[in-house]
Formats: sequence, C-alpha cells, structure tokens
Amino acid sequence: MEIMAKVAFCVYTAVILGGSILAVSSSSLVRALVGLIITLIGVAGMYLLLASPFMAFMQLLIYVGAVSVLIFFAVMLTRAESGGDESGRVPMKTSVLGLAATIAPAAVLGWLVMTRPVESIAVPTEVSIKQLGEGLLSSYFLPFELISVILMVAMAGAVLLTWEKREGK
Amino acid sequence: MNEFIQNLIPLVVAVVGSMAWLAVNALVLVYCERKFAGHIQRRPGPFEVGPHGVLQTLIDGLKLMGKQLLTPDNADRFLYWLAPILSMIPVLLLFMPIPYGPVLTGMEVDLGLLLILAFSSFNGLALILAGWGSNNKWGILGAARAVAQTVAYEIPLLLTVLAIAFMTGTLNLTEITAQQAGHIGNWFIWKQPLAFIIFIVAMFGETNRAPFDLAEAESELTAGFHTEYSSMGFGLFFMAEYGYMVVICSICSVLFLGGFHGPIPGIEGWWWMLIKTYALLFLMIWARWTFPRVRFDQLLNINWKWLLPLATFNLLATALIMKL
Repeated sequence: MEIMAKVAFCVYTAVILGGSILAVSSSSLVRALVGLIITLIGVAGMYLLLASPFMAFMQLLIYVGAVSVLIFFAVMLTRAESGGDESGRVPMKTSVLGLAATIAPAAVLGWLVMTRPVESIAVPTEVSIKQLGEGLLSSYFLPFELISVILMVAMAGAVLLTWEKREGK
Repeated sequence: MNEFIQNLIPLVVAVVGSMAWLAVNALVLVYCERKFAGHIQRRPGPFEVGPHGVLQTLIDGLKLMGKQLLTPDNADRFLYWLAPILSMIPVLLLFMPIPYGPVLTGMEVDLGLLLILAFSSFNGLALILAGWGSNNKWGILGAARAVAQTVAYEIPLLLTVLAIAFMTGTLNLTEITAQQAGHIGNWFIWKQPLAFIIFIVAMFGETNRAPFDLAEAESELTAGFHTEYSSMGFGLFFMAEYGYMVVICSICSVLFLGGFHGPIPGIEGWWWMLIKTYALLFLMIWARWTFPRVRFDQLLNINWKWLLPLATFNLLATALIMKL
C-alpha cells in the first residue's frame, strides 16, 4: 500500500502544480479560475491521503462547490475581457524576477523540510469527527471563536463598503 | 498487493454497477416522465415504437448518439467540453455510499452523507462552465440562474440533513438506515416531519426541476445552460440530471423513509428502497406537470424567507430536544 500512497501523492502533486500553472498563466479569467478549482481538488486529495476525509469533503463542499462559484459570479458580472494593460508580452527581467520569487521560498522550505524533518508517524491515523468536534469546542475553543469573529467582521465590512457606494450615487 | 486487488475488485464492480443503474434509470425515467405527462394532459404519450411506446427512449438515445457534435464559434472549447463531463462523472460516485439493500451497498463510507453532498456540489460548477463556455446569452442567463438557485437551496438541504445527523450521531448512511429498523413507526419522517417537507421542497430546487426549473425555462431561455449543446453533450447533462434525481430521492428514502426496511418487521430488502425511491421520483414528475413555473424572485424568496428560517428553527429544536 505504501507504493500506492506514493503514486497518489505524485498524482495529487501533479494536479496541484498543473492547476496552479493554469491559474497564473492563462489570459482568460475563467480559465484561471478553473485552474484554481483544479488546485483545490488536488489539495482535497492531499487531505484524503492524510487520512482526514472530513477535511477533504469539506474542502470540496465549501471551496469547489461554493467559494469558486461565487468567484465565478464576480468574474461574470464584471465582464472581464481578456486583453488589457497586463495582457502584452512580459519583459524578460520581470519573468526572471518572478521565477526567483517563486523558487526562493520553495527552496528554503524544501531545504528546511529535508534537513530538519518533523517527528511524525509514518501512517496517519484517522481522527473521527467526534474527536474533531470535541477538540474544537474544548482545547481550541478560543481560536475557533476568533475565526468566526474574523469572518463576521469581513462580512460586515463587505456590506458596509457596498452601502457607502450606493449612498454616493 | 494482494490485499490491494481484493479491495479494488468490489470497487470496480460497484462503479460498473452504478453506471448500469444510472443508464437504466435514465431510460426508464424518461419514458415514465413522458408517459405520465401524456396521461396527466389526457393524451397517450409516446405510443409508436414498441408496445405502448416502451422502446421510444432507446431509439431517442440512439438518435442522440448519432448526431454531430457541434462547438459554437468563439466558444471556449476546453471549458465547453469539460462541463458535461464534469456534470456526469461525480454522479457515478454518488451512488457508492447509498445502501440499496442489506448487502447491496457499493462502499460503506463513514462520512457517506458528506461525500454525496461534497461531490454533488460539482454540478453547479458544471452548469456555470457550460453556460459561460458556450458563449451564448441564454446560456449565461441560465447558468447564472441555475447557480443562484442551487447555492441557495443547498443551505436548507444541508440544515435538514444536519438535523438527522444530530439525531443519529452519524453520517454513515448504512447506520442511519439501521437506526430505522423495525416497524414503520421508527422511520424518521415521524420524528422530523418539518425536515422532511423542507427536504422535499429543497430537492426540487436543488435538481432544477419544475416548478423550480428557471435555469432551463424553455419559454424564456430556449434551454438555458445547454442551449448550444448537441448530441451526447446534451445527453450527458440529461443523464446527469436524472442521475441527481435518483440520488436525491434515494437519500430522501434513506433519511426519512427507513431505506430498505419494510413497514412491518421481518421483510426487508432492496425492493423497499426501489419502491420508496420511485414513489418520490413519481412525486417529482407529478409536480412538474401540476404546478406552473414560479418567478425567479418568488423562487429565491421561498428559499431565503421560508425554508432557511424553518430549517434553522428545526435544527435548533432538534438540538434542544436531543440535549433534554
């Protein structure tokens, strides 16, 4: 089974990388969004590999099913045409710098992971939703509540911003 | 490696089984739909091909496969053809965790209910890609409507499912069925009548069926998101739609009507599941030919002003009763 896990890891990595390359390289916003969705599906696969199917399904349900659809709405309503200031050829210097900016954190993180591996178990154990819920409502109670406060603030802020615009007309 | 193959074989059998089940259901349901429609409107329905027209859908399917695959000008080819495939593939997975009989379960998954909800959310994405990809105004309008609708109706649906999960303490469909064993009084429809009604209404909204079929309103949008699709491109959307209908009716019978358990103890089997699922499917077809299509603002008002508060109330009440 270990070989299968490695194969699955490679497949998911390929999906994530392919999706993210599509997301940053395509000129059409909708195709970029499809790239993002492919990446999110790949991440869900990684969660499955880590023996947390709950996270994987939640990732699909929330990100693929809801969030990306909302982004799609935003793209559709703003009539994003492909073509604009940034659609021309990118100068060489920018590409090189962009590549460096991508590689640098990956290299540092990769080096850290390879030289100082975290103590972990070889085969991940599955955490049941009951344990997950108890953890969220006992030992991680404060962060859990703080996250909901952040979401609340973000939502209120979005409403407030659109409200002011409407009054200005 | 041996163990791997042993795990793989039932999975392959289950996938092939659900493919066959889906195809057979699509054939039967299309025929039923046209026949019921005919009789409700006092005409015989399809009658020419085979006795009482039973072979009509088969011939229609063959005709559909023989047609040319057209891609409209200026359409995004990649997204245009991705959409029907993305609509169809998850349906096969959705049949896996549904217990159709005491042994007739594709794959017992602990989070089966969540798996179904997660993968069925791909459909909204497929519809919007189809509408956008075909570069057609009707398509985009239909897709926008379809998505506004499915995203909205998913919330009350999730809340009712959550109420059942609170009661049973599990998301495993096999276990939910097991808790309703015995006689008809143990079915969850008696304990959660409000949830059952909300689920039925949200079911119509979620599958884009009449009276909530605004997404493909023929009279105003030609066909909505699949206006431009020909041949099996359309065929896949069509099959996926019927697949989602069968899945959601099966879930409804598992959650509320006792799954494969009969109304009296001792007689259990896949036939009960089949009868219940088909009764619900008949209800959906019946509603389609009985109620006129609602307006879009009415559709969203029903959801946000009635279903959502009621479902929330139901969930809180369930939690309260569970605690007491």
